[in-house]
Amino acid sequence: MLPTPYRTGFATLVRYAAFAGLVAFILVPLGQAIVVSFTSTLPRDGIELGDLSLVNYANIFADADLVASLGNSILYVSVNVALTLAVSLPAAYGLSRFTFVGDKHLMLLLLAFRLTPPVVLSLPVFLLFAQLNMLNNPIGIALVHCLFNIPIAIWILESFVSAVPKEFDETAFLDGHSLPGFFFGYLIPAIGPGIGVTCFFCFVFSWVEVVFARILTSTGGKPITMAIDSLFGFNTDIGLVMAMTVFSLLPGVLLIFFVRNHIAKGFQLRA
Amino acid sequence: MRTHNNAAWWFAVPAFSLLLLVGLIPIVAVFNFSLFDIFTLEDRYWVGLDWYRELTVSVDLYKALGRSVLFSTLVVLIQFPLGIGIALMMRRGSIQTTAMLMLLAIPLVVPWNMIPIVWTTLVNPDFGVLGQFFGWIGWDFDYKFNALHTWMLILTVDTWHWVGLVAILAYSGRSSIPNAYFHAAVIDGASRRAVFWHIELPKMRAVLLMALLLRVMDSLMIYTEAFAINAGGPNGATTFLSLDLGEDINAFNYGPAAARSVIYFLFVLLLAWNFRRMMQRAEAA
Repeated sequence: MLPTPYRTGFATLVRYAAFAGLVAFILVPLGQAIVVSFTSTLPRDGIELGDLSLVNYANIFADADLVASLGNSILYVSVNVALTLAVSLPAAYGLSRFTFVGDKHLMLLLLAFRLTPPVVLSLPVFLLFAQLNMLNNPIGIALVHCLFNIPIAIWILESFVSAVPKEFDETAFLDGHSLPGFFFGYLIPAIGPGIGVTCFFCFVFSWVEVVFARILTSTGGKPITMAIDSLFGFNTDIGLVMAMTVFSLLPGVLLIFFVRNHIAKGFQLRA
Repeated sequence: MRTHNNAAWWFAVPAFSLLLLVGLIPIVAVFNFSLFDIFTLEDRYWVGLDWYRELTVSVDLYKALGRSVLFSTLVVLIQFPLGIGIALMMRRGSIQTTAMLMLLAIPLVVPWNMIPIVWTTLVNPDFGVLGQFFGWIGWDFDYKFNALHTWMLILTVDTWHWVGLVAILAYSGRSSIPNAYFHAAVIDGASRRAVFWHIELPKMRAVLLMALLLRVMDSLMIYTEAFAINAGGPNGATTFLSLDLGEDINAFNYGPAAARSVIYFLFVLLLAWNFRRMMQRAEAA
C-alpha cells in the first residue's frame, strides 16, 4: 500500500523471488504428502511397490474405524464451534459495551486459559471426564476444546462488535426488539464476517489439537488425528497415513477459501 | 464509550461457567494432587510441598527451562522478522495478497500430530524430496542422532507451522493504518526505513504483542511436534519443559506431574499478567 516512490523494479524482483521461496517452503512438504498418498507403499498383489494408485483411498473406505473417525472429527468440531459461538457472542457483546466489576480479571483469566498448555491440564481433565462418563465420546473433546476456543472467540468477536456503533443497538431496542431479537435480527447479520472468521479459527484450533483428543479417546470415539496415530505399527503403510492426512486437510482448506477475504480482519485489540 | 453496569455479568455467565468446568475445576484438582503421593486415586498420602521441594532443586528442570527459553528465543528471532517481512510485502486488497493469506493459513489447519509425520517423511533419505536433496549435495543430515540437526528440524517445522500466523496478524495490524499516514510520509520525504520504524511498527505494536505472547507461550510449551520428531533426544538435547511433564504423566507419576503442572500454570499466569500490563502501557502511549 505504499505510494509509488517506494517501489522500484529491483524491489519488485526481490518481492517475487521471496514470494516464490515462501510458496515452495509451504507447499513442498504438503506436495510430497499428496504424492505419497497416491502411491502404493506396501507390497500388494497386482500393484508394483511405488506405483501411482488409488489403493490408499480405497483402503480408507474399506476400514470401518477410519470412516468412523471422519464422522467423529466432524461431529466434535461442529459441536465445539456451535457451543463456543453460543457462549462467546453474549460475552463479547457484554465486554464490548459495558464495564463491570471484575471484567479485567475475566479478560486475564481468558488469556491465561488460552495460554495454558493442554499437557498441564490433561491429567485432571481425564479424571474429571471419567467421572462425568464422557470418555471415548467425541462430545467430551468438544467440551474440553472450549478451554482455548472461548478466549479466541471472545477476542475476535469483541473487536467486530466494537466496530458496530452503539447507536445501532439503541435503535433496535427503541424499535421494540427484545435482547434475543436484537442478537439474531440485528447484531449477528451486522457482524457476519466476524462470525465467519471466529468459526474458522475455532475450527482450526479444535481440529488440529491432539493432546486432549488423545487422553479422552483412548479406546473409542477416536477422531481422525488419533485414527492416524493408530495406523503406526510394525509395518506402517505410510501411503495410507498420507491419504488420511490429505483427508484431514480438506475441511480446513475449504474453510480457508470461504473466509479468504476476512481472514486478516478482527484482530484489533483492546487491553 | 462503554457504560458501567454490573448486570452485564449475565452476558459472560455462559462462557464463564463452561470455563469453570473445563478450566478452573481441573486446575484446582491439579493443585490438590500436587500435595499427595498418589498410588491410585483411593490410595494416596499427604506429602505437603515435598514434590515442589524436589522439583525446585532438580537440575533437569532448569536444564529443560534453559532449552525451552533458547527455543522460544530462536523461534521469535526467526519468525517475527520473517512474518513481518511477509506482511510488509503484501499490498492491501490485491488478489495476490488474498492468495498469499490463504497459503499462509494452510499449515495452521494441519493436525499437530501430522506435521512431524509430513516433515520426517520429507527428510527421509530413502524417498523424501528434501532427504534425497541432502544426499545429492552430500550433506549427512541425521536428525535422530545429531542434536544440532534435531534442533534445526524442529525449528524449521515450527516456522513452517506458525510463520503464517505471525504474518497474518502483522498484516492485519498494518492494514488498519489509514493511507493518509503514508501520503504524509511521502510529502515529508521520509525514507522507507523511517516509514517502517515510525509509522508501521508503532501501529502494529498491539497486534504484534499479542502474536508475540501466543508464539512465546506455544513455543515454550512445545510438545506434540518435538516429541514426535525425536522424543526429546538425542541425549535429552530437545527435552523441553512439556516433554518432561508428558513423561511424568505417561509414567503415572501423578503427584510430581501435578506439582510440575502447577508451576507451569503459575508461570503462564505471570506471563499473561505482565503481557496485559504491557498492552495497557502500549495503549496509553
